[in-house]
Amino acid sequence: MDAPEPRHTYDRIAEHFAVTREHPWPEVESFVADAAPVALAFDLGCGNARHAEVLTDVADRVLGLDASRGLLRTAQDRRAERGFGVDLLHGDAANLPIRPGQVGLAVYVATLHHLRPRERRIESLDELARVLAPGGRALVGVWSTTHDRFDATTGFDTTVDWTLPDGETLPRYYHIYDPTEFDEDLAASELTSFDRFQSSGNCYAVVGPASG
Amino acid sequence: MKESLMEILCDPLDKSELELEVEERDGEEIIEGRLIGTVTGEEYPIEDGIPNLLPPDMRDD
Repeated sequence: MDAPEPRHTYDRIAEHFAVTREHPWPEVESFVADAAPVALAFDLGCGNARHAEVLTDVADRVLGLDASRGLLRTAQDRRAERGFGVDLLHGDAANLPIRPGQVGLAVYVATLHHLRPRERRIESLDELARVLAPGGRALVGVWSTTHDRFDATTGFDTTVDWTLPDGETLPRYYHIYDPTEFDEDLAASELTSFDRFQSSGNCYAVVGPASG
Repeated sequence: MKESLMEILCDPLDKSELELEVEERDGEEIIEGRLIGTVTGEEYPIEDGIPNLLPPDMRDD
């Protein structure tokens, strides 16, 4: 598949995309609401930092990392407008610039499915396992075949167009997961899985580091 | 970025320590500068307050 790298598409659509992503997802809100307070939380693939903002409720410090500079600018704007604290990093989900064992709570939603190929997705899950503190927990969520718009029952690569207000469309690469395959990728990684569930066309897992 | 982030960050390539060079600062916020891998020698720019820690081969393709 020769679709452009998603980070470049997001650079182009960032401003329009961010205003359509105003509200945090309820699945993330309830994961964070159930969590004990932590020193350091991490939003991997933070976009406009809407979930980093939720993490500030339970963490002394929150990191937000994204591969798209354009999206990070929208995160800077949201941080300034809404007055919450998040340390923003421009980086790659499969090569995290974070020391091991420090993150008590993490959210990794709507991002893993933009990485290709499978080896990079598993490397990224390994990186999440590396940065999680002993006993730390993360919520991982990906778009899946359980969504109404997909007929397929097994995972596949595709592009989904984003339409700008002027009508221009830009493709975004996705790997659409099937639930079994999501379990298999988690199992192939260093992460320990605790819970799985499906909601609104996404597959989710609550995970911890290799040590559990 | 805040200087205190140095306790958390590492080189994305080999996870070794980074060294900070500041060009422009506003209080504890570093606006422009660079992070340098103490082992890899890679330079990661800090631009408009955000460190660019993408692996070098992902920077501008």
